[in-house]
Amino acid sequence: MSELIVKPSKAWFKQSLRLLHHEFRRGELTIIFLAIVLAVGTVFSLTGFSEQIKQAIISNSANTIAADRVLGSSREIPTEYLDKSESLSLKVATKILLDSMVFSGDNMLLSELDIISEAYPLRGEFLVKMSLDQKVATSVGAPKQGTAYVEESILSRLDVKIGGTIEVGVLPLTIAGVIVEIPDRSYRMFVAGPSIFLNIKDIEKTELIKPGSRVYHQYLFAGERDDIEEFETWIKPQLNESQNWYSVKSAQNRLSKVLDSSEKFLSLASMLGIVLAAVAVAVASRRYGQRHQPMVAVFKALGASKSHVKKLYMLHWGLLSLISIIVGLVVGYLLMLAGVSAIESYLSLDESQITFKPVITAVITGLLCSVAFAVHPITELISTKPLDVIRGFKQNVLPSFGWHQLIPLFALFALLMLFSRDLIMSSSLLLGGIVVSGVLLLLGRLIMGAGRSAGAKAGKAWHLALANLKRRANENSVQLVSFTIAIQLLLLITVMKSSIVDEWQAQFPENTPNHYLLNIANEEVAPLQDFVNELGIDNQGFYPIFRGRLSAINGEKTVSFDDDDDVDKSDNEKDESIKGSSTENEAKQDDKEKPKERKGAGRELSLTWQAQLPMANEIIEGKWWEESDVSPQVSMESGVAERLEIKLGDELTFTLGTDEFTVPVTSLREVNWKSRQLNFIMIFNEAAVKGIDTTSISAWMVPEENKNQVYRFLSQYPTVSIMDFGSLMKQLTKMIEQVSIAIELILVLVVLAGSLVLVAQVQASMEERERELAILRTLGAKGSLLRNSVLFEFIALGAVAGLMASIAMEIAVFFLQTQVFDMSASFHFSYWLIGIFAGAGFVGLMGMLSCWRLLKLSSVTLIRRTM
Amino acid sequence: MKSNSEAILKVSALTKSVQLDEKTLELLQPVHLTVNTGETLAIVGSSGSGKTTLLSILAGLDLPTSGEVYLKNHPLHQFNEEQRSQVRANHVGFIFQQFLLISSLTALENVMLPAELANLPDAKEQGLALLASVGLAERAEHYPSQLSGGEQQRVAIARAFITKPDVLFADEPTGNLDTKTGIHIADLLFQLNEKHGTTLVLVTHDPKLAKRCQRQVEMDSGVLHEARLDNVNVEELSADMKVG
Repeated sequence: MSELIVKPSKAWFKQSLRLLHHEFRRGELTIIFLAIVLAVGTVFSLTGFSEQIKQAIISNSANTIAADRVLGSSREIPTEYLDKSESLSLKVATKILLDSMVFSGDNMLLSELDIISEAYPLRGEFLVKMSLDQKVATSVGAPKQGTAYVEESILSRLDVKIGGTIEVGVLPLTIAGVIVEIPDRSYRMFVAGPSIFLNIKDIEKTELIKPGSRVYHQYLFAGERDDIEEFETWIKPQLNESQNWYSVKSAQNRLSKVLDSSEKFLSLASMLGIVLAAVAVAVASRRYGQRHQPMVAVFKALGASKSHVKKLYMLHWGLLSLISIIVGLVVGYLLMLAGVSAIESYLSLDESQITFKPVITAVITGLLCSVAFAVHPITELISTKPLDVIRGFKQNVLPSFGWHQLIPLFALFALLMLFSRDLIMSSSLLLGGIVVSGVLLLLGRLIMGAGRSAGAKAGKAWHLALANLKRRANENSVQLVSFTIAIQLLLLITVMKSSIVDEWQAQFPENTPNHYLLNIANEEVAPLQDFVNELGIDNQGFYPIFRGRLSAINGEKTVSFDDDDDVDKSDNEKDESIKGSSTENEAKQDDKEKPKERKGAGRELSLTWQAQLPMANEIIEGKWWEESDVSPQVSMESGVAERLEIKLGDELTFTLGTDEFTVPVTSLREVNWKSRQLNFIMIFNEAAVKGIDTTSISAWMVPEENKNQVYRFLSQYPTVSIMDFGSLMKQLTKMIEQVSIAIELILVLVVLAGSLVLVAQVQASMEERERELAILRTLGAKGSLLRNSVLFEFIALGAVAGLMASIAMEIAVFFLQTQVFDMSASFHFSYWLIGIFAGAGFVGLMGMLSCWRLLKLSSVTLIRRTM
Repeated sequence: MKSNSEAILKVSALTKSVQLDEKTLELLQPVHLTVNTGETLAIVGSSGSGKTTLLSILAGLDLPTSGEVYLKNHPLHQFNEEQRSQVRANHVGFIFQQFLLISSLTALENVMLPAELANLPDAKEQGLALLASVGLAERAEHYPSQLSGGEQQRVAIARAFITKPDVLFADEPTGNLDTKTGIHIADLLFQLNEKHGTTLVLVTHDPKLAKRCQRQVEMDSGVLHEARLDNVNVEELSADMKVG
């Protein structure tokens, strides 16, 4: 027996590079390459972009509280707090926040008033330009009495210049400068309007602050570290629920938490695109495995060892992944730069601050996509038997069920975890995704099956197309799901942008109020009442209003939520002031903030008293009081009562500043929140609120033709705030626009990834299609029949996706309409047509393009290639 | 070319059976065969007679169920997949009916492949020379898809000879070609074979091609026996085989 000489070949390295070079040049690796580039580029740009914004906001907000510590409160704080801070020689500044109408001539604007004391700011710089052409802004404190600093947009919106006069409340103020930088600017979703800074000594002269007015006080403290800490230790135990104590760090933590969650949302939403890109990798790598089978068999037949083949393919796949990841990072970086430059005018971003996080996240995504989704096809490929050169190759064998299918699922889960860092969210998204895909698949199969029977009666080309569609149902299912999702997003954006808001507005009854008036002093009620009566303006009367907290139920103290810091909370409080009265939003918000155990409302509510049961209210339990009743009573909205587990007869204790009073619940009301009338969770009888200072609010239906007259009249009462419902609607529309941009971005991703999946699938079925076309050609089928059958197959696939997307869109819109907008649901048939046609057109076009090479082949070539 | 008496392939009591459900299918009845160095042998037989199975085992692509097979004195029946790969790399060349060129590699790279696997020097020069000898010098940088069937098989022949294999196995080398091209390819194959003094084991059901070999054996339902093509009417046999 002769000795077997084992000469391990080093050729794998050279062969691998050669293979990579040729395959890249011949476009064999394009789909896998693009899919990985897409996934990596998306992740890098999104993560990098949000990281940049976060960094910028956080670094810009280094002095975000303009002090070392801030105490926020809806009421003035006890003087002993200030005495104590003085004894520790802390510096103190005060800031009062209040939303109010500001006038200049005939123009008016809802603005945020920042009323500051001389010492403001204690940390950081408040930068103002005294004239518009001043190059370097001046660092200032509070404006002189009788003057104000305003944000630049106020100049154009009120048509006023620096040196001009604006009226704040009843006080005329001269604009002394334009604000360049506010050291403690908060980043809020809803801001009443641009900021106006005025001196705290002017506040009384404006006559804006009255009982029941919604103002927010901030007390700023700064000093030596030890002193501050001593003060902190002293004051913390004394704070109540309506007082918030925070430091720069806790403010930043809160801010970064808010930013984190928005980043998480965006990343998770874009996961859809990434998952599809991963699916494209999976499909393409399966085809890659099949395509390379003969190659591996020949290699092995010619004497290549398994380890040779393994090394060759590991290097090949590794390099392919590496190149794709690098290109993905470059593409992602460019996209990020584009994004950054788009928002540069809003935020000063420092591009050098790129952190490792986006790079690492993107690289991990790329590796997960290229490894986890390809590991099975590649291992199968490597174990191809040399005997296959004789026996022939398995083509288009559907993957069998087995443990290896868990790998991509694990990878998906890992990707979700990578983005959300939230186990529950990741698991539910994965499970939800599987369920939704399952439902879509089932539905798609049913529709395709029905189409098959219908196709039998249609023309020859349709018959062939639908038969093919049904036969390739498994392969088509991924495309079906991805295009369904893409089209659904498209439809949803379109419907949201063009119809929902209009439909919502159109559904309100004609006399629905369109103006809310707040901050009406008691002596102003009579003239305003006379005015509306005289003009015949629909209104619901005037509601006295005061602020108070539900502090105990049946003597049991209500526990408030415990937030580790309070920037967000103070924002919430201020946001409410634009909402005006207690609305359903308030109730819902309470519910959200309420921890699981039995809680109170958590913070101050707008409270009122009435003699008569207001319209749009219905007593469902108990009895409304008689006007003559002298015992204090409260009527409660039934929904909130249920959530707080309050029953008829329960004794509720309310705290107003330092005063407390207790009343029994004598009735529960059902309130029609949809009515857009002024609605209240708590209504007292007169006896309960004796001696409490109130202001009033009212809701008016001002016809368009009377608007100017009403505004002119109201300008006599400058301390009354007017909220035009139209401007609220504008805010809503703007918000929808912003959300749409995010959805559009995801839509582009999904369409790109879905198209990749489609092209990958078509490529995977190419040999089979070639054989079929050759057979049909041999049997004498005309070129037009073949072309049409291919075209119709994709058109039908797109149309099915469009149909399912329309159904999904209608369901989503139904929930939006009934749950979010509280309106009755409507049907959007015209959008169904858009969905079906857009799907058919796009998928038809993509399919034809990817089959073009095949359809262009002459019959002879076709037959020779396959027979 | 005459063969010398040294056996390069020795097969004794070789069987191959496969399990189909509960039935055992005997693909090869005990086969005995010796092929001498430099000999050209044709294995003929109808479809399904077991000739390709025999070829697979002789070439070390598959293992027998029982019996022994020695190639260049290597006991293939005792070797694992890796060891058999090494034997193939060192001693064996292949020509397939389907050509089986690697579509992503050029004609030259396809030819160079076995030489690289066997760590032979000058793979490129040798490859170019062989391509020239099969008349495809100008097509060296072309991909298989840019070549006709006949050209692809010429590349495959060049590939088969680059390592100067001791044994060349050809499985229906002209089976996918038209008659004229088939004759051309066969001419080329025998020419190169003679030039390199390679032992050729050829599986075919084309009696004309089989007749060009020094020796012919016939497989019939897994049983191997010497065929005497000299004594039969080739046309007749050819007709029979097509029916078979």
